[in-house]
Amino acid sequence: MIRWGARHSSGAIQGHEKTRHWSGAPSAMIPLTVIGGFLGAGKTTLLNRLLAGAVGRRFAVLVNDFGALDIDSRLVTEHGGDTIALANGCVCCTIGDSLIETLVRMAETPDRFDHIVVEASGVADPARIADLAVLEPRLMRDGVVVVVDAWDVRARADDRRIGDTVMRQIKAADLIVLNKVDIAEDVPGTRAWLATHTAAPVLEARRARVPLDLLFGLERHGADGGAPDETFRSWSYEWSEPVEREALLSMLRDAKDVLRAKGIVRFADALQTRSIVHMVGRRIDVSEDGPWTGTGSRLVMLAPKAVLGSLQRE
Amino acid sequence: MSTIVYAARRVVTMNPNQPFATHVAVRDGRILGAGTLDSLRGWGKFDLDERFADKVILPGFVEGHSHAFEGGVWKFPYVGFFDRTSPDGKRSPGLKNIEEVVAALQAHEKTMPKDGSTLFAWGFDPIYFTGRRMNLGDLNKVSTSRPVIVLHSNFHVLNANTPVFAKAKITRHTNVHGIVKDEAGEPTGELQENTAKYLAYKAAGIDLSTLLSDEDATWGFARVAQLAGVTTATDLHNTLPDSTVDAYLRASGSADFPLRLLPAFAAIAMPPEEGIVRLKSLMKKNNERLRFGLVKIVTDGSIQGLSARMRWPGYYDGTPNGVWNIGPEEIDRYLLAYHRAGFQVHVHTNGDEASEVAIESVERALAAAPRWDHRHTLQHAQMADAGQFRRMKALGMCANLFANHLFYWGDIHYARTLGPERAERMDACGTALGVGVPFAIHCDAPVTPIGPLFTAWCAVNRLTASGRTLGEAEKISVADALRAITLGAAYTLKLDEELGSIDVGKRADFAILDDDPLAVPPEKLKDVPVWGTVLGGKVFQSPKS
Repeated sequence: MIRWGARHSSGAIQGHEKTRHWSGAPSAMIPLTVIGGFLGAGKTTLLNRLLAGAVGRRFAVLVNDFGALDIDSRLVTEHGGDTIALANGCVCCTIGDSLIETLVRMAETPDRFDHIVVEASGVADPARIADLAVLEPRLMRDGVVVVVDAWDVRARADDRRIGDTVMRQIKAADLIVLNKVDIAEDVPGTRAWLATHTAAPVLEARRARVPLDLLFGLERHGADGGAPDETFRSWSYEWSEPVEREALLSMLRDAKDVLRAKGIVRFADALQTRSIVHMVGRRIDVSEDGPWTGTGSRLVMLAPKAVLGSLQRE
Repeated sequence: MSTIVYAARRVVTMNPNQPFATHVAVRDGRILGAGTLDSLRGWGKFDLDERFADKVILPGFVEGHSHAFEGGVWKFPYVGFFDRTSPDGKRSPGLKNIEEVVAALQAHEKTMPKDGSTLFAWGFDPIYFTGRRMNLGDLNKVSTSRPVIVLHSNFHVLNANTPVFAKAKITRHTNVHGIVKDEAGEPTGELQENTAKYLAYKAAGIDLSTLLSDEDATWGFARVAQLAGVTTATDLHNTLPDSTVDAYLRASGSADFPLRLLPAFAAIAMPPEEGIVRLKSLMKKNNERLRFGLVKIVTDGSIQGLSARMRWPGYYDGTPNGVWNIGPEEIDRYLLAYHRAGFQVHVHTNGDEASEVAIESVERALAAAPRWDHRHTLQHAQMADAGQFRRMKALGMCANLFANHLFYWGDIHYARTLGPERAERMDACGTALGVGVPFAIHCDAPVTPIGPLFTAWCAVNRLTASGRTLGEAEKISVADALRAITLGAAYTLKLDEELGSIDVGKRADFAILDDDPLAVPPEKLKDVPVWGTVLGGKVFQSPKS
């Protein structure tokens, strides 16, 4: 039995849970992250960081327009109209006629990528795009990251023409990148304002500089468990005995500052099943991944460094 | 250089110097002149053709807002509420309740091979049905062995049967927006969002966009237009992939193709700097019956789809404001780029906030890059008020108003979406005419059937399906409505010097009618039979239903 030592449960925060069954091997599923946010918030800057900083993972990045991407031409290995292949294994594609069709086509060639990232249009509801990963068995919904411009988000939210669009995006977020905090006024005020509209954790950033692993998953750290960055830490639990489902889920729900968690778990109520627990922000997904084969259960979490100091295992 | 003179009961020319004539002379596919037989003799030797002697000749109708998908949907059974005519001239009767729809689908199912192939139907229009919604059980009565998909007339919502849901793995546990569920949490069979719909199509093995835009579909569109007296029609929003361009080129390459087709390039398809290059290269392929060059920007959704962008006070029933397809700043970017490059831009705006944004966007584009006679056109502009029309006039803009909405959705707008006052002044042809905004009226086929005389009837009578008159003050005369479906529409497409009236030098494109639309009572305008068309001097008689 585990619990967070210093944490109290918060009734206001509810993880979103779902169960999905699929029959394919887990390696055939590609995580999908959707980057949302209004025009000018910094989505492209974030994608540029991702492309430049991707190490050991091949990202497929879907954008509306190559033009804004800052791609070093010396790193381009192939340029074929709507696709640019980079030396680090990443690929950029333009979305073309239909985002859904493009995504499904990519999901059908899983060996080429480890992770798909979609840049939503400035007025799109990113959660609707992420819905595809819930429906399409070859995609795994990783998370919805919404980039918010700390400098003008509150003015945008008050705009009679676009305010509702901005708010829809904020409410769709699993994680929020509060960008441009270096040039914005009253960042604490904006944080407080955001907190009244969303339970999603907020990462402050300058020029969209955020630890990429917080945004794009734990796959690598699940394997080596190392501390990847100075600004946050990973933390793992292992259990040899089956785990109580509700105890684990309520622990995650209460772990307000843990931004990501991923586990392969043998639940006490599903002993024969390999259950995958996946948390991004406050959203928790549990999916069933075939029969249980391993030895013990394992859960890895990422949180900003200061927070993990207050966590302890009972 | 042969000349043919057609005799007619009456020629309605749309040329104010000579509004009516008895004969029209055609040479080399163009109009040599109109007048009396005697007045035309001076052009020299001619053959007199009297097959239209008891017909009325009008300029060929110009449909300024339609989609070539109209030709493709007829590959599949139609199950709508209103009667509708297919490209071969057959009339499909309207189906008035769920049981009739199910029975029609069952009858069609029996004609299909027993190979498990998908039954797809379209046009389902339950808004006038009373009682419950269609559900899985209804379509399971059609078949439990083959996928059945029924697309609604709004093209946004569909119903499917259990085989589709099973194959798409959509269950009570699928938590995705747009999967309609009943009180017990079970999916009802209705899907409302693109993502869920896409997976249903995929499960059913249907690639709709390909099926709807191949060469056959292009021919089907031309034929269904011809049946309605249309000689020029737009395909007003197409990303124009090579496959579609090839289909259009092949179809329009035939001298028997009975239509001048004007595709409008979907600005959203690519960044504007690439789109401009693409469009310029497409324009080099233009021929007599195919004209690339229009651009379309789609700003908001639809009023009845609850996705229009409205100004205060918004939806009458309190539904939250709709969604932007392209946000205000992006509208500026696209519009300015195409404006600078010299293109005419058609902007889809249903709600009045969308119209406002588009008008201001044109204003900024003109300030940044002054240009005369741009004729940027608001498409639909259904909620535009007098002030917006005055601004459009001042900026040199045109409007293409969705008059068919008055009939098909007017009752819904009155009761639910707009409320009485705004419903009374929607699709404000009278205001456009009074203010002096050049305007057309349209059908948006396949959303509503293509039929300019019906569209003109809507603008003249403003009757809803239930018989309510919406906005006495916005009615226009039959003559003005006929101008809107000929010269008015041609003006909004920058073709008014070439088409739209019967005048020396213009193309010999005619609508041949069995009766005189100016002589029948205005409430009978929609019932004037269309005999066929003439396109560039070539006669196309329509099959009789």
